[in-house]
Amino acid sequence: MDGTLGLLGGIHGGADGGGGGDGGGVPSCGSILTNSKEDDTMNDQDMLAEVSSSYPVDDDLELGLGLRIGGGGSNAIQEGSRILRPNSCSSSSSSSSVNITNSSIAGFKKSAIDSVSPPNAASVVGWPPIRRAHRMPILANRIKSERKEYSSRAKSYLSVKVNMDGTLIGRKVDLNAHNSYETLARTLENMFYGRLSNTETIGRSRLLSGTSEFVLTYEDKDGDCMLVGDVPWQMFVSSVKRLRILRSPKSRNCI
Amino acid sequence: MDPNQKRAKAVDRVDSVDTGAASSESTRMCPFPDEVLERVLSLIGSHKDRSSVSLVCKDWYNAERWSRRHVFIGNCYSVSPEIVAARFPRIRSVTLKGKPRFSDFNLVPEDWGADVHPWLSVFSTAYPFLEELRLKRMAVSDESLEFLATNFQGFKALSLLSCDGFSTDGLKAIATNCKNLTELDVQENGIDDLGGHWLSCFPESLSSLEILNFASLNSEVSFDALEKLVSRCKSLRVLKVNRNVSLDQLQKLLLQAPQLMELGTGTFMQELVSGPVTELKNTFSNCKHLVTLSGLWDATPLYLPVIYPACARLTFLNLSYATLRSIELANLLTHSKSLRRLWLLDTVGDKGLEAVGSCCPLLEELRVFPADPFDQEIFLGVTESGFVSVSRGCPKLRYVLYFCRQMTNAAVATIAQNCPDFTHFRLCIMNPGQPDYLTKEPMDEAFGAIVKTCTKLQRLAVSGLLTDRTFEYIGKYAKNLETLSVAFAGSSDLGMEYVLGGCPKLRKLEIRDCPFGNAALLSGLTKYESMRSLWMSACNVTMNGCRELAKEKPRLNVEVMKDEGSDDSQAHKVYVYRTVAGPRRDAPPFVLTL
Repeated sequence: MDGTLGLLGGIHGGADGGGGGDGGGVPSCGSILTNSKEDDTMNDQDMLAEVSSSYPVDDDLELGLGLRIGGGGSNAIQEGSRILRPNSCSSSSSSSSVNITNSSIAGFKKSAIDSVSPPNAASVVGWPPIRRAHRMPILANRIKSERKEYSSRAKSYLSVKVNMDGTLIGRKVDLNAHNSYETLARTLENMFYGRLSNTETIGRSRLLSGTSEFVLTYEDKDGDCMLVGDVPWQMFVSSVKRLRILRSPKSRNCI
Repeated sequence: MDPNQKRAKAVDRVDSVDTGAASSESTRMCPFPDEVLERVLSLIGSHKDRSSVSLVCKDWYNAERWSRRHVFIGNCYSVSPEIVAARFPRIRSVTLKGKPRFSDFNLVPEDWGADVHPWLSVFSTAYPFLEELRLKRMAVSDESLEFLATNFQGFKALSLLSCDGFSTDGLKAIATNCKNLTELDVQENGIDDLGGHWLSCFPESLSSLEILNFASLNSEVSFDALEKLVSRCKSLRVLKVNRNVSLDQLQKLLLQAPQLMELGTGTFMQELVSGPVTELKNTFSNCKHLVTLSGLWDATPLYLPVIYPACARLTFLNLSYATLRSIELANLLTHSKSLRRLWLLDTVGDKGLEAVGSCCPLLEELRVFPADPFDQEIFLGVTESGFVSVSRGCPKLRYVLYFCRQMTNAAVATIAQNCPDFTHFRLCIMNPGQPDYLTKEPMDEAFGAIVKTCTKLQRLAVSGLLTDRTFEYIGKYAKNLETLSVAFAGSSDLGMEYVLGGCPKLRKLEIRDCPFGNAALLSGLTKYESMRSLWMSACNVTMNGCRELAKEKPRLNVEVMKDEGSDDSQAHKVYVYRTVAGPRRDAPPFVLTL
């Protein structure tokens, strides 16, 4: 039976009453999920989705097991993500145990393209099996807003220019994509691969350890040229204006 | 009472033997006068034991039926109210369960049935002195509640769990009319909350209340009325209020009722620390009989310490409405060494569970609920390591309900070794069909370890990526298993066949979204009459398969719920149960009895 069902997750705006909810037609280029008219409990749905596997399917599981690894699109899929598939061999509407609430349609559409999260509990009626008393939208919202505060900084994009001695064309790096000097240095090494002599990256980055002929510096708020790595990471991020990779004076052969 | 009176054919368990075969010799063999026999038998409480007693001989059957005061009906359609009334003439207490369990998760349409009214009608004539009614997953209307309140003069105890169809108007009727009410317990129902006035309807004269639970209702009740009610009901031992009762108000209530054994608080947060709250700690230490504590909505580190004085005596602590972090829980638990039952939210994380393992050696039951089950964006919650920590510190664990997002076979095997006494093991890996996240293998070995090691297992809920191997293990090893819940699992018909071919004590089997078809369904032909019920939804069963089953087994009701517009040959939702009452007469149009 051709797998005609895929569920991509990334359902936002946590469904209030569990799986039951409203339906609406949602065509989108990646995954298509169409819901029929609102019904209190079971919605009869046609589910069509395009599933592109980025992992091989285990043959043992092929037998009627309605699970496939993978998801549409991006490489941001977590390991162990699963896509549900109807178990019956007749029309796809028979597995009408899937439902999406109104509020999550938008999120779903987006995820069809971005395919950020794996298919999950949010997209199936009556799953996870939580009784009324323990479905707590208020609770969920509070936790979400706590989380948002915490990570709102992380969501913004903080890019700084990086220039390297001897290279005309500079690069840009997003500092918020990193949370330590080590990852930043490796990224820079990768960016400027070949020009940084000895780009072996086993162990601590040589840029940071001072064993390379280059040294990583930054220009801070005051305009001063400072060595990267002295202050705590967050402090660095808040004061850095641009990065410079300078040839270490010790290794200057001439000039 | 005529001992030779012809018995009704009724049984509350189908496996009762028809005792018509017992001859009149049995009367001579039985040396006791009927009165003595009845008196002795009246001391037997367990309905299972009573069923056994009734099978001994005609005399015992009769003595049992006349001495029975409480009847338990696990499936309201397995028997009719008339049959029950004919067999048991002197019932004072009824427990009645209706819809299949998956109706809690929106898998059963609203007007499916399980209406309590036909029962009440019959009971009003057969048991006018009915005192207790406990309903679970029944459809209850306001009219029914009013009928109940006005037709049963000595009515004392009403418990409604997961019922729907009524509103607070129905509760008004109960409060107003039941002069001897001792218990009103309203939990988790799908009801219309039209306001809190119902509480004010208790008459001034009513002082018999022992149990009052309205924690799951949303609207405000008159605090004045509540306080007066609590103060005049000196025998009140269970009080569970809803979230709208503030800390100040709780203080006042506790002062009126220091004898409480079970308390469900209201909100546990307050903007301003006012006078009465600082005395709350003293008040709690004065509640010397408190063994159960729940509610604790919005509890924060600021107010949580007021309960510390009471914690030492607590045996059941329900924190599943409190978004506690690990530290907060750890602090709390250092005071709560006597806990037997603990319910938590997964906000406590694995570290919180480590604290459980170190502080609660007597723990027998643990339930961990997901704070945000439907949105994966949020934190991980608890993982396998939290569960393992608990199992190390709490070897007496019998009952676990655990929601998590990742699990490994190795962890579950360790848990089984640490806690071999599990009777209820319900593991919910929230992502359907997810494998062992480390090895990527199916979770077969995990549940295999459980059924092999935990020989007392009665209830099992499986999850994660599972092949038929899991069910092979279950069928082979789970000798005491009575309830099995399966979702998104299995590879072929074999899976279900293994279970139906093994598990000698299986009573309830509920399956959703699994690749089991007609062969699997029909493999249980000889088993279903010894079970209460079978539920299969979104599997591969067809109408023909169901018709075959119905034809072979006329004493089963084989019901198929039709979905609009779905393929006519597929049986989308199948509910099979044994019955002595024949096909339902109240089935809505979308339920076909084959």
